[in-house]
Amino acid sequence: MRIACIALLFLCSAALGGQTEIDLADGKATFRSNCAFCHGLTGGGGRGPALSAGRFLHGSAADDIKNVIKSGVPGTTMPAFEFEKDELDRLVAYVRTLSASSGKAASAGPVAGDAAKGRQVYERSGCAGCHRVGSEGSVFGPELTRIGAGRSAEYIRESILNPSADVPEEFAGVTVITRDGKRITGVRVNEDTFSVQLRDASQNFRMFQKDEVQKVTRETKSLMPVYSSLSKEDLQNLLAYLDGLRGDLNAGTGVKKEKAIR
Amino acid sequence: MRPVAAVFCLAIAPLAAAQNVTYERLVHALDEQQNWLTHWGDYSAVRHRNLKQISTANVKDLRLDWIFQTGQAGSFETVPLVVDGVMYLTGGNGYAYALDARSGRQLWMYKHAFPPGRKGNGVNRGFAILGDRLFMVTPDANVVALDARTGRLLWQTEMASFNNGQYTATLAPIVIKDKVIVGISGAELGIRGFIDAYDAATGKRVWRFWTVPAKGEPGGETWLADSWKRGGGSTWMTGTYDPQLNTLYWGVGNPGPDLYGETRKGDNLYTCSLVALDPDTGKLKWHFQFTPHDTHDWDAAETPVLLDLNWKGRDRKLVVQANRNAFFYVLDRESGEFLMGKPFARQNWASELDAKGRPILMKHQEPSPEGSQVCPGLAGAANFMAPSYNPDTKLFYFAVREQCDVYYTNAPVYIEGRPYWGSVTRALTEEPEWGLLKALDPLSGETKWDFRYFHAPWAGTLSTAGGLIFAGDADGYLMAFDAKTGKNLWKLNTGNPIVNSPMTYMVNRRQYITMPSGSAVLTFALPEQ
Repeated sequence: MRIACIALLFLCSAALGGQTEIDLADGKATFRSNCAFCHGLTGGGGRGPALSAGRFLHGSAADDIKNVIKSGVPGTTMPAFEFEKDELDRLVAYVRTLSASSGKAASAGPVAGDAAKGRQVYERSGCAGCHRVGSEGSVFGPELTRIGAGRSAEYIRESILNPSADVPEEFAGVTVITRDGKRITGVRVNEDTFSVQLRDASQNFRMFQKDEVQKVTRETKSLMPVYSSLSKEDLQNLLAYLDGLRGDLNAGTGVKKEKAIR
Repeated sequence: MRPVAAVFCLAIAPLAAAQNVTYERLVHALDEQQNWLTHWGDYSAVRHRNLKQISTANVKDLRLDWIFQTGQAGSFETVPLVVDGVMYLTGGNGYAYALDARSGRQLWMYKHAFPPGRKGNGVNRGFAILGDRLFMVTPDANVVALDARTGRLLWQTEMASFNNGQYTATLAPIVIKDKVIVGISGAELGIRGFIDAYDAATGKRVWRFWTVPAKGEPGGETWLADSWKRGGGSTWMTGTYDPQLNTLYWGVGNPGPDLYGETRKGDNLYTCSLVALDPDTGKLKWHFQFTPHDTHDWDAAETPVLLDLNWKGRDRKLVVQANRNAFFYVLDRESGEFLMGKPFARQNWASELDAKGRPILMKHQEPSPEGSQVCPGLAGAANFMAPSYNPDTKLFYFAVREQCDVYYTNAPVYIEGRPYWGSVTRALTEEPEWGLLKALDPLSGETKWDFRYFHAPWAGTLSTAGGLIFAGDADGYLMAFDAKTGKNLWKLNTGNPIVNSPMTYMVNRRQYITMPSGSAVLTFALPEQ
């Protein structure tokens, strides 16, 4: 009887907002298999936004988060997932603990720095020569219209200081050396066994048959220059500017569907 | 009344004879080089034809001759049969067709009737034929027999109850004597796999071989507790057959749950194995397990090709397989004895194979909650796409996938009709996939030549006496290569990733090459003189 009482006490203490530790462990496992690849093992962000910062662009209520998981986010790489109801409940319960445990929920706010000055840094540094914000800039590099919503500040900082740390496949660089020795470097739009199509820095398509050129090589590094020479202040202001870019990117664009894996 | 009936019989006799594909004809399928009578072209699956009208000298002139559009969405994985000028093929989603093999004009169409509430989509890999009957499986795990002359349904037998889509079937059946032999899919959904034989005349089941033995049966001790009940072991690709040894060879799929092995400790027989069966009874003659206790989805569904070669000074009957686990295996097909196993692609899971062919595992190859980087990836270094063997060059030609994955694991919850994987894999982002067309000496396992594809392929090969290897890639190119040198001699962008294997046939002294792509059957020939 005494053992039973202790066991009961343990079960009660383990309950957290209606979720048991077992439920949260299940949610964590589902998160690691399905979400961690983009959002990081502890939700700190990566190719996807941080989930531990206490800021959810589409709402922080359980139903808001569920909607995002079930429907995906149009115009982004966030796909729609199919989960069983119980599984989705456990996953969302776990996702909500990420910001609680990081202690950031209360203090969450914009990234420190002067966004207006950051915009000047952006313009001065020639970022628009490759990137697009809204209707301005180039389509050569990744669009930044909603970069603040899609990437953690930490990820953006690393992308500026060490762009080669993570190069998305759709922005992989490729260099073609023609038979007369010309080198053409650009973002690979498409490549197959016999041909390659790329976009050069002037935003033009360049298209080649491989048997008509000397060599086609994949660039192992990002085509983006390293901006480590920015002053600490300029960098922080630039981060504040980029973090504030949360525009509507291609609303209505189709959402990729992904089967959830248990 | 009697004389009239007799006259009627006489009148239809020549028509019936035209489709009369006897078992004897199937045994000697390679004597009918103009036809393609079984899924693999013949029982041994060499996929080589002694046709040389299209050759290394003129293949540059090869051109599209006709197109047949099925209009069916989904992966088009069929390999057609051709019998005396008629092409029989299955499409996706329960469709099937008979075509004039010279013009691509339709002779009949069949559509499987799905009961209400069942999904009506799914891939299919083709027909088997016996007499004037065609046999196919359906996405809802039925075997159906059709009249080859009309496409009319003759019989239909359910292999296993549908269970919300848990059991499915995709393969082309194989006919041996009077039996239609088929396999099942669904190891990713918690099934217990089997190979079935049905009476070609009636559709009645004659025998069943369970690929996962029950507790108490031989091999049952290789499964922890009740894990055998959902042990997987799909048999989703067609087997091969040696008529002289009267032995059927079948590659068995992976155990389930795919990526989580804790609840099914043990070798998990007969998953990831080659089983040799008596086709009359379904009794096991021998087995060889390539990947004991697999946790990477490396099934053994790849074609077991039967070759008679001189092995170290002695003529032997061999079975060879380029396995999904990245090793090329040679076994004695009379005894199942392991003779050789060599890696043909990058792998970091086995340091070597021991004298009996069992892999010595490397550390960190098991899937983990944080993810383990392992080569090959989940789709394997080889897969369902058919290889070929050319008796002139004595080389084995096959498609290689070079791709690694990060493998995650997590205890799965079983829900009928839902995936039962035990977690997930992710492709390595810093290292793109690629592929090879490889020409390998099956006696040594050494590569003679290879040709690099930009993406990892999903298409098989065809060998012809014209000195050619036909192959396809994941970017949609149908290609012809010099079998001796690997030089690419011809290519055509079909506009859709190619996910099956080319075949060839001859009608009216004209040689054709057929390769389905997208939802179209594309048939090529040299310009008419």
